[in-house]
Amino acid sequence: MGLAVKNRLKVLRAMRDWSQQELADRLEVSRQSVNAIETGRYDPSLPLAFKIADVFEMPIEDIFERD
Amino acid sequence: MSAQDRSAFRQSVPLWAGLTFASFGMVMGLALSDAINATTTLILMIVPAALFFQTMRAASRKGPCSGRGEAQRLYIKRVAIFSSLYLVVIALQVSLLDGEDRSLAVRAGLSVLPGLAICGVFWAIGRLILDEKDEFLRMLIVRQTLIATGFALGFATIWGFLETGEVVPHIPAYWFAVAFFGGQFIGAISNRLTHGTWGSL
Repeated sequence: MGLAVKNRLKVLRAMRDWSQQELADRLEVSRQSVNAIETGRYDPSLPLAFKIADVFEMPIEDIFERD
Repeated sequence: MSAQDRSAFRQSVPLWAGLTFASFGMVMGLALSDAINATTTLILMIVPAALFFQTMRAASRKGPCSGRGEAQRLYIKRVAIFSSLYLVVIALQVSLLDGEDRSLAVRAGLSVLPGLAICGVFWAIGRLILDEKDEFLRMLIVRQTLIATGFALGFATIWGFLETGEVVPHIPAYWFAVAFFGGQFIGAISNRLTHGTWGSL
């Protein structure tokens, strides 16, 4: 069974008043990707997770955690 | 009609796709009923080919709204080219082979061309998987294509055994390529249900 991961992407994005499209542009991915990650339908790869951490200027473990 | 309406009309993918299929059906109908000769068929095939290009252009123009990237634009362009080639060579095959006694080399050459054009579409799907930089969209394309492949192989296997049992009539093997494209539709529905988006194929 796969390890379930949850994230705080939606909250962090709302705190910065960014739209999904704005965050997608910063991450250089599609808006669908941001939406899928936020809703827990898709777990990003490690490189993308690090990129998300860089965009939010936070440690990766403050964004993603075990469910 | 306002400029916005005219723009929406020009960008209507279902409209252009419908016109493409309707014109292709008309030309093929005329060719198969011997109402027009091979040369006329080839000339008239310019109409569905041009309409198909317009369909692909309309789909491509919708790009920025649905987040399509460079990989998708290249894919649409490649599919447009191979589909247009397919329309032309299928007309060539139908009109030149219809009731005519051609040599084996000519028949083989004409018969392999439509298959190669469809192989071009398969290649375009493979290139899209390689070119797509967005990992989520790439995963959706791979998922959709695997579902389509499974559907086509399942269809081929089951139909083959049903044929052996004389339950169903024999069908040409190119119908399994049609099953693959039908499977892409099933894959898109599956993507929508499991990942909330149809994908980008």
